[in-house]
Amino acid sequence: MHVYEVFIKKDGRDEFRHVGALEAATDELALVLAREGYLRRAEGDRLWVVRRDHVIVADDGFVSPNADKPHRHHDGAAVAAHRKAARQGRQ
Amino acid sequence: MPRSWATMEDFEAFLDDGGLVEADDAMPDAYRQAVFAFIEMHANSELMGGLTERDWIPKTPGLRHKMAVLAKTQDEIGHGHLLYMVAADLGVKTRTEMLEDLFAGRSRFHNVFHYRAHTWGDQVAIAFLVDAAALISQQAVFKNCSYGPYKRILRRIIAEEGFHMRLGEDRMMRIAEGTDRQRAMFQESLDRWFWPALQLFGPDSKPDDVLLRWHIKSERNEVLRDRWVQKFVPMLQGYGFTVPAPDLRWDDEARRWDVGPIDWAPLRRTLAQGGPDSARRIREAADNWHRTAWVRAALNNGAGEANGDGAFGAGDGSTNGSES
Repeated sequence: MHVYEVFIKKDGRDEFRHVGALEAATDELALVLAREGYLRRAEGDRLWVVRRDHVIVADDGFVSPNADKPHRHHDGAAVAAHRKAARQGRQ
Repeated sequence: MPRSWATMEDFEAFLDDGGLVEADDAMPDAYRQAVFAFIEMHANSELMGGLTERDWIPKTPGLRHKMAVLAKTQDEIGHGHLLYMVAADLGVKTRTEMLEDLFAGRSRFHNVFHYRAHTWGDQVAIAFLVDAAALISQQAVFKNCSYGPYKRILRRIIAEEGFHMRLGEDRMMRIAEGTDRQRAMFQESLDRWFWPALQLFGPDSKPDDVLLRWHIKSERNEVLRDRWVQKFVPMLQGYGFTVPAPDLRWDDEARRWDVGPIDWAPLRRTLAQGGPDSARRIREAADNWHRTAWVRAALNNGAGEANGDGAFGAGDGSTNGSES
């Protein structure tokens, strides 16, 4: 038996979303169980199942450096203040 | 990314702040055990409920309702699958261990599945009163549950339970508009099922209930029970049935129904597997598991054979990665 992670998507909109997991002996059975467990009322029309041990998981700390990169953002506050002042000046 | 907390105070502060715990987090063991026990009981109840429902597929009147009962049975068994997976991911017991414990009478399931459904009226009462009680409880858990995987799985379970409850009310409406004999049958069912359904919520929550403290549940048992009473007492009366509570009274000042004192002994008996139908239910569930062993064996044996061209097909094949 393998554990599979299940992803579904409504065609034409949304991203694939992780909805849960299941246990199945084969890829085919994983698809069947995913359909019967997670798509019983057309919750999506695209389906992925991925074996959990095939998911590549980032180590602790691998992602965290990007939490500290303020120069990658711009809140636009200075420009907004300038525009606002200009608008008020015109009135 | 897995998280950990230095102390229980840190963990509780995280929960109080609305934090969601994930399966791979290093959660305190007491929390892991509590959330596991809660989900295991829910999973067991879905399975036992599904098996009850299944018993009624051949006896359901009319093709349309028969198909609906079939779908509902599949829903309930499916909920069991989803919940056993969420429970197994906590690493306390495997799915097989949970099933073995259930069939050996070592683990719990909801009180209502310790009673026997004698008539179609009982089945309608269950679909209406019990499914509604379960739905009210699940909605309250879903609203604020601190365990992420359970909260997410509850979203779809609640959606499907909503169909079941509407189906139950639809059937009750038909019985209410039916013959005197049908109405008498449903009144008898109501007499049997009103109290077990109400007791499903359990006695008043204790002040130190960890399920509340850790935001596994978000509302107290008595609050949920009262919500059910306020909704279902007038609804049953509106359909012309008698609520089987001798001390029932309308409190004009508080503008609410009071069902009077509740006897919790029947609930305690079911929790000790001593309900009126506990032994037969558990035995039948175990027999069913053993009888279907060949299906699981056949499916598992398929794993040893060529994988990728199975009889079930796999869409356009683009996502059908073969494993060797």
